[in-house]
Amino acid sequence: MASVSVPLPGAQAAPRPKLGEYFRWSVDHKIIGVQYMVTALVFFIIGGALAMLIRLELLTPGLDYSGTGSVYNSLFTMHATVMIFLWIIPFWAGLGNYIVPLQLGAKDMAFPWLNAFAFWLIPPAGVLMLMGYFVGAPEAGWTSYPPLSVLFSGDGQTLWIISLHILGISSILGAINFIVTIKNMRPEGMGWFQMPLFAWSQLATSLIQIMGVPFLAGGLTLLLLDRVAGTAFFDPSRGGDVLVWQNIFWFYSHPAVYVMVLPGMGVLSEVISVHSRKPVFGYKMIAFSSMGIALVGFTVWAHHMFTSLSPELRIPFMVTSFIIAIPTGIKIFSWIGTMWGGKIRFNSAMLFAVGFLSQFVIGGISGMMLGAIPVDIHMHDTYFVVSHFHFVLYGGSVFAIYAAIYHWFPKVTGRLMDEGLGKLHFWVTYVSFFFTFFPQHLVGMQGMPRRVAEYAPEFQTLNVIISLSAFVLGISTFIILYNMVWAVYRGKVSGPNPWRALTLEWQTSSPPPAYNFKGEVIPFEDPYGYGSEASKAYLDEMDTRLTPANLLGKGGTASGNPTPEPVAGD
Amino acid sequence: MQSSRLGEALDFERERRREEELKLRNARTGINVFQASWILTFFTLIIANIQLRWSSPAWPPLGVEKLDAALPTVATVGLLVSSVLVRRGFRAIRHDDLKGFLVQWRVALGLGAAFIAVMAYEWLTVTPAPQARVTLANGVEITSVLTQYNAIFRVMTAFHAVHALVIAVYMAVVYRNAALGKYGRGDTWALEAGAKLWYFVVIAWLLFYVVLYWL
Repeated sequence: MASVSVPLPGAQAAPRPKLGEYFRWSVDHKIIGVQYMVTALVFFIIGGALAMLIRLELLTPGLDYSGTGSVYNSLFTMHATVMIFLWIIPFWAGLGNYIVPLQLGAKDMAFPWLNAFAFWLIPPAGVLMLMGYFVGAPEAGWTSYPPLSVLFSGDGQTLWIISLHILGISSILGAINFIVTIKNMRPEGMGWFQMPLFAWSQLATSLIQIMGVPFLAGGLTLLLLDRVAGTAFFDPSRGGDVLVWQNIFWFYSHPAVYVMVLPGMGVLSEVISVHSRKPVFGYKMIAFSSMGIALVGFTVWAHHMFTSLSPELRIPFMVTSFIIAIPTGIKIFSWIGTMWGGKIRFNSAMLFAVGFLSQFVIGGISGMMLGAIPVDIHMHDTYFVVSHFHFVLYGGSVFAIYAAIYHWFPKVTGRLMDEGLGKLHFWVTYVSFFFTFFPQHLVGMQGMPRRVAEYAPEFQTLNVIISLSAFVLGISTFIILYNMVWAVYRGKVSGPNPWRALTLEWQTSSPPPAYNFKGEVIPFEDPYGYGSEASKAYLDEMDTRLTPANLLGKGGTASGNPTPEPVAGD
Repeated sequence: MQSSRLGEALDFERERRREEELKLRNARTGINVFQASWILTFFTLIIANIQLRWSSPAWPPLGVEKLDAALPTVATVGLLVSSVLVRRGFRAIRHDDLKGFLVQWRVALGLGAAFIAVMAYEWLTVTPAPQARVTLANGVEITSVLTQYNAIFRVMTAFHAVHALVIAVYMAVVYRNAALGKYGRGDTWALEAGAKLWYFVVIAWLLFYVVLYWL
């Protein structure tokens, strides 16, 4: 296995921003990035607690605590909305905010003020959504289908709509910022195809956001008017049509799935290449397949509506749904090709990346099964669907988030996370994840419907296994949270480039200083050119340039910093 | 010593110019991306309109008058003229012709205001939605489908008018600033942004106009 580089002689953690700065309005993309990510983690815990309550209710076939079942309805509605709109999407926005300008050698995002504004829309929107619990929680599921969401849901549904509107505006503003930053602010010598793949994935994600979110905004406007202004666009008894909502909603929400997973795919490209010490296999194919997913993603929405669509329209959407598997397959193939023959170091980041690969393939294959019309009509609204999208969104997106945390934590804080705890976290998460979601395929195929608080007694054994695994999965999250908090104060000093990576974010101190880089930024000709003599020479030269004296502007060690220790090798 | 200081000052000045240029380039790209994105909310309403048509037996539904296109057509022509004037005015000020700019934009803003007033009138006087009760074959009594035609008309025109109003107010503000000479030579970005946003209003309206009155 490759030797992990030790921190540079005399390297130390660069000064970090004070804690108070994270609670204030700031236009520094590094502060905003952390604000996004930490806010998202808070909502992850809230959404996770809701999931635990869902699994508690499903321990037994009968109704336990949720009375008429409406408490249960509100639980799965809130769980899904919080996890999608307040955890995964904002986390990726935050990571992109922190990393993309650094990868481009830029001082900041293109519109720093707008960036801060987009972030500060999120906490109030989240609070607004959760306040729904005090006025009659939304019960229509995250898809919010009318007439459920118009006629049978509490006033919390109105708050839910307004909250989503605000989050949508935040998404659009953030996406505009990413697109402009990536288009205009690359340094000299970095063409489109010298750009790191994480930046490519953020570009594809942002394109989806600007093309998709306006549809959600339009649809939500109509839904809001139906609730508060007496119109009846979605009320069939007054000449409306519920399919208007389904079409508009899924036209946004199917691409939104790729908003959640594309940045994760970008993370995988970075992590796998760096920790395999090999160039990315098929760089251009990965970049183009991101764009392909972004475009084809807009042609598949009606596969969510096979049971409500007129039959002759089903076939084309089945075909497009299968086509979108091709770019995804290209990526998986490229990542395996990248690892093949590499000097892989199986640290926590790499483990989660490989974990993503295996779980995401399972989720992708069950997705193909659901994309086939006959199977879908049989399995529609069963636990098979729940299993499918948790494999994609937890086994995919969340695993990629974990990989990203382990990979970039040293850059953000200047400290390394504990590898032992990281590996423990991986194995507990991986196993409990599998036993939480894999049995859901089985109960789903046997016909257990989703979104119902009661179920037939024959499903109980599997449901107990699922619930107990889910509780372990919930607890496993605290391992990484503890690890992060511990590492901020006690972690080993990482130095500027602990992984000896070639992308630009590592060619500055950890954490980076104000305006990110001291002196001129010189990107290496190939961001993934590992294993060549030239890359070694480049990295060695960077090591000499990035001495504490150069990084901090004056010689000697700053007082109060612990002496760096070598990173435990693997 | 002296010359190296001069060199530093020159470097600093070059760097400052580079930053300014980048800022302007970013702003231009940003507003283009925003417009490409936000126009899709208008498309969403068009899609809703078309799908409601499909699911209605007749459009406009029986007993509902088709919207009268005469007055809105006049307003639309006025809006188109205003966009031409906005463009000409912006060209004028780029050639340092402040007076030409002020004249053209004054008329354009007047036309814009007239358009908003006409559409407000249309919105208020559109045939009120009849609340007729109809009994279906299976004996269920429902409120007549007649509401949809007027409801979606009102949503679309109001949605557009809000945009027109906000952007017109912005244009009035930058017009006033320009009249007071607050923008230096060559510093026309605020006006350029206003012009671009006004084209957005016009294009969005043309889409709606076709769908509402001619489709």
